[in-house]
Amino acid sequence: MMTLSTQMLWILAATPGQVGSGRIVGGWGYVWACYGITVAMLVLYAVSLWVRRPKAPTDAKE
Amino acid sequence: MSTSRPRPIGLLTATLALLRKDLLIEWRTRARLNAIIFFALATLLMFSFALGPDTKLLEKNAGGYFWLAILFASVLALGESFRVESENACMDGIRLAPADARAIFLSKALGNTLLLTALGVLLVPVMVALYGVRIVTSVVDLGLILLLGSLALSAPGTVYAAISSNARARDVLLPLLLFPLVIPALLSAAKATTLVLQGDPMRQFDSWAGLLGGFNLIYWGVGFLLFPRIIED
Amino acid sequence: MGKFIKWGLPALALVVLAAGWWLGLVWAPPDREMGDVQRIMYVHVPLQWVAMVAMAINFVVAISYLMKASWKLDAAAEASAEIGLVLGTAGMITGAIWGRPTWGVYWSWDPRLTSQAIMLVTYTGYLVLRRFVEDPEKRATWSSVVAIIGAINLPIVWFSVRWWRSLHQVQSTPKTVDPEMTLALRVSAFGMLFLTIWFLVQRYRQALAERQAEVALPDALPSDLAAAGGANSSRVA
Repeated sequence: MMTLSTQMLWILAATPGQVGSGRIVGGWGYVWACYGITVAMLVLYAVSLWVRRPKAPTDAKE
Repeated sequence: MSTSRPRPIGLLTATLALLRKDLLIEWRTRARLNAIIFFALATLLMFSFALGPDTKLLEKNAGGYFWLAILFASVLALGESFRVESENACMDGIRLAPADARAIFLSKALGNTLLLTALGVLLVPVMVALYGVRIVTSVVDLGLILLLGSLALSAPGTVYAAISSNARARDVLLPLLLFPLVIPALLSAAKATTLVLQGDPMRQFDSWAGLLGGFNLIYWGVGFLLFPRIIED
Repeated sequence: MGKFIKWGLPALALVVLAAGWWLGLVWAPPDREMGDVQRIMYVHVPLQWVAMVAMAINFVVAISYLMKASWKLDAAAEASAEIGLVLGTAGMITGAIWGRPTWGVYWSWDPRLTSQAIMLVTYTGYLVLRRFVEDPEKRATWSSVVAIIGAINLPIVWFSVRWWRSLHQVQSTPKTVDPEMTLALRVSAFGMLFLTIWFLVQRYRQALAERQAEVALPDALPSDLAAAGGANSSRVA
């Protein structure tokens, strides 16, 4: 499997005009990883809040 | 409330009296000093074993290892400094005596500073022998950094030791709270020590010493202000 | 109002966040230098912002608690620290992933990154301390002290690390931000903010209920009970 960085280098090498500008091509894997991890963490935290929800209403006393 | 409490003796008098008491206890047993000296020596030795007999590497990193050894030993020393008071409920006795709570902070923090400075003075020759370094700039600079570094570890360390000595799992809690806090102090002390040991062509020593001094000013001030809230009951 | 917070706020947050991410992932153009990788910005930067908001709340609440003790402030401190830690961790993970294609490494000892790592360790210590102290009043006071000291430390860490790494150039992303990017970032940030507020409210209520249950609990020791003359011996309002 070709890793993203080698893919990136290959694309940069193939297009000499782009080398100077140093633009990163591709990399959607990184983007999806970031959004996926964030969504997973937020969902897990929401679940943990649900699990730990107060059993009785908070204003039951006084 | 501390404001309604009578204060017949001054802050300085109370601090010195408490410091004298702590030093006397320390001198009579010498248990704490002995323990941390051997601990720090063992740590210095362990660094050389962990890295293998690469003298160049040890020489290059000597400043960092020196301060790590002091930091690890300081956790032991700080934890012990309040354990003395928890025996026989001594802390309650001190609080009942009309002494300012801030005097307890100052005496404990100064006591810890003295202990760590003494430890550092004893470790320097060992470091020189073990890691093959020599003091390039001046001994005065090294002494200054030793003092400033010990002060910097002691002020926040005393506050956190007072907290963790009353909590569960205090042996875990103290390093967990203290280590992230003293990173700036550790960093600047290690850097300045490295400059003393390897020469300082760029005259960077003063700025690291200054950073350490600023760290001390902030945390001695904060500790002085907040410590009474920790031991109030 | 209660109903809005329970159902309306999370719904609003999710809609706004989804809109912001759609704008960022589909609508906004790729960056001139970083290409599509730059789209990580729309999740990373809002996370960092709301984590900062949560930590700032924690700092203010800790100072307020020392001035005037109340269980509400203590509950708010617990809520903001925990949520700040979760969001900050997510922010740091996304930042590290972003660093891989742009800097070539996941981790660099750059001042911002290092300070944030130290911040996360500090607040982990703070939450561990809260776990390890049983007396609710002592826990509240001590954790406020720890929160204040920890927050004061962060700028010092930032400066010291910047000096420490002065030989290395600080990596900064070139600011070639198109108006489309700004809009997508703003919408995402508001979505994340609404979500954070909802988290904070839920966690705050839970912490407050826990505190009230703790205080209402009769003391285990009979001598304490006699001395206090009742179940609620708390000085804190």
